[in-house]
Amino acid sequence: MELNLDWSLLTPEYILAGGAGMVVLLDLFWGRLRKDQLAYVAAAVALASALTALIWVNDDTNFANLIDIDNYTALFRVFFGLIGVFACLASARFVKDRLLHAGEYYGLILLSVLGANLMAAASELLTAYISLELLSFSLYVLTSYAKFDLRSNEGGLKYMLLGAFSSAIFLYGIGMIYGVSGSTRFSEIAASLSGDTAGFDMAMFLGLVLIIAGLGFKVAAVPFHMWTPDAYEGAPLPITALISALGKAAGFALFLKLFGQAFIPLVDDWRVFIAVLSAMTMALGNLVAIQQRNIKRLLAYSSIGQVGFLMMGIAALTPENADAASALVLHLVGYVISNLAVFVAIIIYYNWTGKEEISDFAGAAERAPYLALALSIGFFSLSGMPLFAGFATKFILFQAAAEQGLLWLSSIAVFFSFVSLYYYLIVIKEMYLGKPAEPTRFPTPWLEYGALTLLVAGVFLIGLYPQPVFDIVEEGAVAMMAVAEAAGTVTAPP
Amino acid sequence: MIPIENFLVLSGILFSIGIYGVLARRNAVLIIMSVELMLQAVSINFIAFAVYLHPEQFTGLIFAIFVITIAAAEVGLALGIILRIFRNKGTANVDEVDMLKW
Repeated sequence: MELNLDWSLLTPEYILAGGAGMVVLLDLFWGRLRKDQLAYVAAAVALASALTALIWVNDDTNFANLIDIDNYTALFRVFFGLIGVFACLASARFVKDRLLHAGEYYGLILLSVLGANLMAAASELLTAYISLELLSFSLYVLTSYAKFDLRSNEGGLKYMLLGAFSSAIFLYGIGMIYGVSGSTRFSEIAASLSGDTAGFDMAMFLGLVLIIAGLGFKVAAVPFHMWTPDAYEGAPLPITALISALGKAAGFALFLKLFGQAFIPLVDDWRVFIAVLSAMTMALGNLVAIQQRNIKRLLAYSSIGQVGFLMMGIAALTPENADAASALVLHLVGYVISNLAVFVAIIIYYNWTGKEEISDFAGAAERAPYLALALSIGFFSLSGMPLFAGFATKFILFQAAAEQGLLWLSSIAVFFSFVSLYYYLIVIKEMYLGKPAEPTRFPTPWLEYGALTLLVAGVFLIGLYPQPVFDIVEEGAVAMMAVAEAAGTVTAPP
Repeated sequence: MIPIENFLVLSGILFSIGIYGVLARRNAVLIIMSVELMLQAVSINFIAFAVYLHPEQFTGLIFAIFVITIAAAEVGLALGIILRIFRNKGTANVDEVDMLKW
């Protein structure tokens, strides 16, 4: 087989890896720069990698049959790079005030973006697994980054133990799939699955279940969600934002690619399984969120609920078209933007007060009107109100699921969207009707407010005029689904 | 020649012992050891499949090498975090590390 070893295809990844090393060394050798400007250097590196990725838009090639370079990859490279930019900017003040070792902190953020990029780009299980571990390891360390804070240690420990356990399960599943299909490449797995596999049914089934369990752990689907609230609460706030945005988005990029390319011939076997997991996830996440007192835990459970919605997109996958895949990616983009807006607002508030209980947000609207407004917009978008991103993306996603005969799942999803509005409203009520501890206004942090404004603008863009974003996302999803078709495994119905 | 089933059963047993260890052990270091056991079971699986079913390619063997490497990295990282907990709290028992609940 002819291998394409054009190393320049991986330029965005080199930039990230080189940038990570550079940030660590800068911190080491150039003391004056420490903490204050490292955040901007790291953000610039992430932005550079996102912009370089634009070179390969509309390209369709691969690196050594391991890494696909197509529209799907380009989409996620840009997306993850921008998440990295916002994570670095939101960390600037927080790290300066509260954490040690800023160089390694930003280095690890860049490495986690690198891992996420390769997860979306991988067209082969070994590459996918290694990049998954690169992302996870960076996040384990970052979660326990507040060295002397017991909660951070504990969150990191739980995240790490369960993460290691789940990757072992995931690997055993990969082993089974490899044994059955004789290949780790997604397209070849699909080719071998579409033939007669009667003799291998049991091993195949075991492999599939173990892979779903392993990936379920990584994206925090019920019943594999136990680590989520603890890791979210323990981690430093910007890292909580990073886990909920980057970790989740990368997990779904891989989940979608694996099931859209490799396992699509067996779609009838796993559709119900994923649909039930999805229903359980949105039920548990949204119901348990109601009784939370801590804003990080509230967002942890709300993100579990969102995972339930996102998994609908996987359950609705079909070999005939890319509707479900593009609906899933669109909702992912909308969710991440809204969620980042919420987290940036909470980080700003935490920088002022150092408190993170919901009751501490009492009267926030009086002390910081713009912040309270942005936070409310983020919450409304997450719950799927019209005008905001959440409504448009959820509408398209629920429709895609209903078209595949999952109307019952869509109804459950609509119901739990209303439930989620309830607990977001509790926070909003606290902000607007609660009494502030003291009446003074907070000082305005211009940089963070700028980032927040961009995110809020993104929420409104997707909410009011989703067409351009939808077109971009659809190109990516079509490129991804086309691979399964090219392998000759998917026969369109007459 | 030894039939492939023997290897698969061995790997299945090792994997199950590993899962039991993760669920039953309360010391974080022992949990990590159990996870290692699970990863070794995966390696055995890969090598058996590579040698018996697909002898013409190296994918399975290379996968096993990477599993070993990543397992080593995982232990290093895990011990670092466990050490941190031990310094701060004086215990590595996961039942006593219980500040975060519900």
